Amino acid sequence: MIEKGKISAMQMALMMYPAIIATAILLVPAITAHHAGQDMWLSPIWASFSGFLAVYITLRLHHYYPQKTAIEYSEQIAGKFFGKIIGFVFLFFYLHADGIVVREYGEFIVGNFLMRTPPIFVMGTMVFICALAVRGGVEVIGRLAEMIVPVVTLVILIFVILLIPDMDATNMLPIMEKGIIPSIKGAVTPQSWFSEFFLMAFFLPYLANGENGKKWGIISVLAVFLTLFIINITVLFVLGGITANFVYPVMSAVRYISIADFLEHLEAFVMAVWVGGTFLKITVFYYVVALGTAQWLNLPDYRMLVFPLGFLLLVFSEWIAPSLMELSHLLATTVPFYLSSIQIVLPLILLLIAKFRNRNRMKDGQK
Amino acid sequence: MRFFKKSRNGVTGNHQNGTTRNNEQELYIAQQNAQPYVLSFNLEENIETLQSVYENCVDVVFRSFQVAGTTNAVLVYIDGLVNVEELDLVVLPSLMRPLSSITDFDIHQLLSQTLTVSKVSKTQLMSECIESISSGKAVLLINRYNHAFSLGVGKWEKRSIDEPVGEAGIKGPREGFIESLGTNLALVRRKVKSPNLKTKAIKIGTYTQTEVVVCYIEGLAHPALIQEVEERLHRIKIDGILDVGYIEELIEDNPYSPFPQMLNTERPDVVAASLLEGRFAILQDGTPFALVAPISFYSLLQSHEDYYERSLISTVIRWVRYLFLLISLFLPSLYVALLTFHQEMVPTTLLLTMAASRELIPFPALVEALMMEVVFEALREAGVRLPKQAGAAVSIVGALVIGQAAVQAGIVSAPMIMVVSLTGIASFTVPRYATGIAIRMLRFPMILLAGSLGLLGVMLGLLLILIHMATLRSFGVPYLSPMAPMQGQDMKDVLVRAPLWKLNTRPQLPGIDNLTRQGSDQKPSPENKDQ
Repeated sequence: MIEKGKISAMQMALMMYPAIIATAILLVPAITAHHAGQDMWLSPIWASFSGFLAVYITLRLHHYYPQKTAIEYSEQIAGKFFGKIIGFVFLFFYLHADGIVVREYGEFIVGNFLMRTPPIFVMGTMVFICALAVRGGVEVIGRLAEMIVPVVTLVILIFVILLIPDMDATNMLPIMEKGIIPSIKGAVTPQSWFSEFFLMAFFLPYLANGENGKKWGIISVLAVFLTLFIINITVLFVLGGITANFVYPVMSAVRYISIADFLEHLEAFVMAVWVGGTFLKITVFYYVVALGTAQWLNLPDYRMLVFPLGFLLLVFSEWIAPSLMELSHLLATTVPFYLSSIQIVLPLILLLIAKFRNRNRMKDGQK
Repeated sequence: MRFFKKSRNGVTGNHQNGTTRNNEQELYIAQQNAQPYVLSFNLEENIETLQSVYENCVDVVFRSFQVAGTTNAVLVYIDGLVNVEELDLVVLPSLMRPLSSITDFDIHQLLSQTLTVSKVSKTQLMSECIESISSGKAVLLINRYNHAFSLGVGKWEKRSIDEPVGEAGIKGPREGFIESLGTNLALVRRKVKSPNLKTKAIKIGTYTQTEVVVCYIEGLAHPALIQEVEERLHRIKIDGILDVGYIEELIEDNPYSPFPQMLNTERPDVVAASLLEGRFAILQDGTPFALVAPISFYSLLQSHEDYYERSLISTVIRWVRYLFLLISLFLPSLYVALLTFHQEMVPTTLLLTMAASRELIPFPALVEALMMEVVFEALREAGVRLPKQAGAAVSIVGALVIGQAAVQAGIVSAPMIMVVSLTGIASFTVPRYATGIAIRMLRFPMILLAGSLGLLGVMLGLLLILIHMATLRSFGVPYLSPMAPMQGQDMKDVLVRAPLWKLNTRPQLPGIDNLTRQGSDQKPSPENKDQ
């Protein structure tokens, strides 16, 4: 095996949590609000089904090929040639998806805080730091998740609590005015974020306590669901009907915090903590790409790939969209289907073939 | 001169730089390369060899006399390393006294009846004789006899046991290690009396031949860990070691890290407590410091007094320490970031005060902070090494430089002085000096990052530090454990200091099986007293 480290199931869950949340609280609430209106708090409920489905598919595939990552078992499932093609699709997809994340990060920082800094510098420093973490291996990423995620979660909770005075619960009325359809429409984008739970396919083989993988996978989905639910409901209560008009509704809601004329304008602080979460998200995707590429090319180690891939990642982040508006449009229209077709549909097809093959094998065994 | 012929043969193979070496150097190389030189029956020949080895050494004494008035003998020792009084009053008289029976002189009788020294060892090798002489023993050579006796009459000047200077405390034992290895080992042995306390000696340093001892408790420390440590110690090839700092640098896991990966302590109680947790300690002759490993970052933030004080109070003090650790790392950089990038986060009235105090300051906050922090480090460094008489001058001048005068001159603002002094004090709350200094040094890149990228820079710096710490290991133990990887059981001694009757298990070091420290249900209460 290329990766010799072992992580616990809890570490994996803690890695998955920011891998979904970090960007899901950035542009997504506005997109959800655009479709679902005052029912936006319902959308995470529908969206989380996608997460459970992804976890289910991943665990089933892991059950058939316990020691292998997605890159390795797609070769076994689909044959050498088609397997390599599928592996390439996964790798290209994750590099591309990571590029989107890096770009979202860059746009957010440059748009809100460092207006005159070149975006390529902001993104480049982040990719460099992520590269250092990726070189440390899965154990190091797991430990970083254990240090950072509790702090991020705590800060999110504190801000929700601090926003309570500005909340107006009547903003959610009338509930399901136009039926259930708007909230489902609003769930389309967040569900694609949930589909990213397929990333577990790259971490399950390295669990020290594999039997807990299922439990912690589900806990992680629930935690993400709960966070998105709380965030959406907070944003809705604070901003009301105008949520869809903001680019970053969560950041705009945070601006409302004002306690005793002392705790004010905490956006920068929230940004700093959020950067921790985004760092983990980029690192997890980055690690998957680096490890997967090494497995795809049958290399003995993935560490020499990290910096070249980082350069590629930076280039991708520039290519993805010409501007923030285009990026936002992309996330609202194409990306949901792009993400879920690679992370749900493709693995589902793999699972069906694997099931078919294994049934045949079992029949052969019985004969 | 058989000895040197042999040694030269051994030398020529390895060293061909034609420079002249002194005898000792050849001797040591000879010890390693040539065949062992065995003592001869001829006393004069032996003495001649020794004298040529110790040529130009005025402190080596050759005392010839006659054992029992019949046989020629020579006593060789180094002046100042042996107890001359004991030699004069006890050893020499008993050896020189004529034997009662006029039978043949018997060497065994000499050992059992005449020699009144408790530590005696017999050797046939010249190299061992030289080693004994160098390490403060008196070596007795007797004519017509090819064995030498080394008499343990060593005694040299040493400091008395004192309160540890670097790790003072209000509660707890007040004795600290001294420069003598034997005394230090005895101090540890007096705390852990079980025969399971093992002490393994290794000699390190071609010239210094310093004795280094690895202490551990058998059954608590994992055998593979002890083996690893011994292997790392044996790998050291150096001319000399003068402090455990040398050993630390030569056996640690990551030499390029600013963080210490071993605990440096001069307290026997800290060593004993660490041994009881399944760690090992390295003691070295000639230094009052011991090394303890494997450790995690959190052990560096704990003080011995945490365990001597009440648990509630220790918990609060621990949290104060954690808070000030963060302050010493982040306060100046946060201040710079706020003033340079995020003025809106500062409450208006406070911002007005700060703006007023900075009105006349010609420097940007970044330069001001860097300047003052450097001055603070300079004052600290000057204060450490100054003789006491000059110390007062430094503190007075220092108070002026970082103080009222600097503010009045309009060079620095008053809030910056507060930030710098608070940071300085905060860094001294870390119980280990080496950790505090690592944090203080990391402050400078943090200030630079804060001045160039604001809070984002601070966060990026923190991430870099975290990545580095997550990668670090101390003898296989992850540096951030038990936080990351999470070991729920061990949180009782990190997040809080649980009461002693709750600290039932030892920290989970890799491979340790014997986790139970004590019996459960020891919570004291009046009911238990009746039983």
